Amino acid sequence: MSQRNVKSVPAGWMDGLGERLIRHAARRAPESLSQRLQEEWLADWAARSSTMSRLRLAIGCCWAARVIALEFQPSSVAAASPAVAAGSVSAYAQRDSGYFSQRSGTLFIVLSLHSLLFYGLITTVTHFHVSAVDPLQNRLLKDPAPQSLPLQVPSPLLGDFKIEAPKPDFEVPTELDPRTDVTTITDPPPPYNPPPPTQAVTQVLGGPGAGFPNTDDFYPPQSRRLDEQGVGTVQVCVDAKGRLMADPSMLQGTGSARLDESALKLARAGSGHYRATTENGRPVNSCYAFRVRFQLKN
Amino acid sequence: MGKKERDVRMSLQTLKVLEAFLETPTEQLSGADVHLRCGIASGTLYPILLRLESAGWFVSQWESIDPSSAGRPRRRLYRLTTTGLRRAGEVFASFNRGVLA
Repeated sequence: MSQRNVKSVPAGWMDGLGERLIRHAARRAPESLSQRLQEEWLADWAARSSTMSRLRLAIGCCWAARVIALEFQPSSVAAASPAVAAGSVSAYAQRDSGYFSQRSGTLFIVLSLHSLLFYGLITTVTHFHVSAVDPLQNRLLKDPAPQSLPLQVPSPLLGDFKIEAPKPDFEVPTELDPRTDVTTITDPPPPYNPPPPTQAVTQVLGGPGAGFPNTDDFYPPQSRRLDEQGVGTVQVCVDAKGRLMADPSMLQGTGSARLDESALKLARAGSGHYRATTENGRPVNSCYAFRVRFQLKN
Repeated sequence: MGKKERDVRMSLQTLKVLEAFLETPTEQLSGADVHLRCGIASGTLYPILLRLESAGWFVSQWESIDPSSAGRPRRRLYRLTTTGLRRAGEVFASFNRGVLA
């Protein structure tokens, strides 16, 4: 038997609190054990050396009473009889399995609540972290609508003020003097003389002249194989000597890119062989168009 | 009785309590003594003591003193039963920890 030098029940507000906790815990235990546990716990509580140790024991007794209340039937353990206690093992065993299943359920609920709180905390922190920094965004700023300023026309200062013209000191003659009438002294306008008619110019447009290349020589072989035919119009600018002054261009296509290209080659090759346009028989620089026909001959 | 003894569920704290009693199997210990020996908190200790008592491993009785003359309340003292001593030895043997005979 352990015989330690224990002191009597200590005093103080924390000890008073601890004692009340123990009495309260013992009341929550099964009725058959309540008195025994209260006396036992108070004795052990008094044996503790420090105030904090006693307070911890008192708090632990609260938990112990709850566990004992769950485990033990009111008649499972007699207050002081080992024989009765031994006889109630069966009831204890049944409560024991029930207690652990209930404890497991409680543990599951506690873990679920903790998981839920943790999830809520993480979600909240993440939300604030994301929303704390706005991503860079391009925003289209609308042009400010032009404000139509009301047209404010200052009202005339005159108002009802009337200007009275002073009367002249002289008298204006009411009848015209025929000698000073301007209508009678004005000269008549000179007659309109139309410009003399210009002299007519006889213009003869030019075209491909002597020595101009033959169209068949520029017929693309592939177009021949594909039976491509067409008629195009080529625009050329020719000087007085029948030479091209600029690169010819297609005024109207043949319908085939190959034939159009060959028509331009023909027009370039004919430089120097064009017949210049004449005005009054004199060759002049001019631009004109002529047709090129690509036609297969059987 | 033997069937009922098997219903005791062993935990680390229960083993510590048994170990405290097995140091001196014939000695009677109060809850405060067990707490000093194995350091188990009261919230766990007292249910274990009641559990082992219900299973027949322990017996308990009030300390035979006069509280008024001793100046302190009487304590509840626990002691290993013969069955409890045997069963505790078997339990520790199964854990290969060795038990005092």
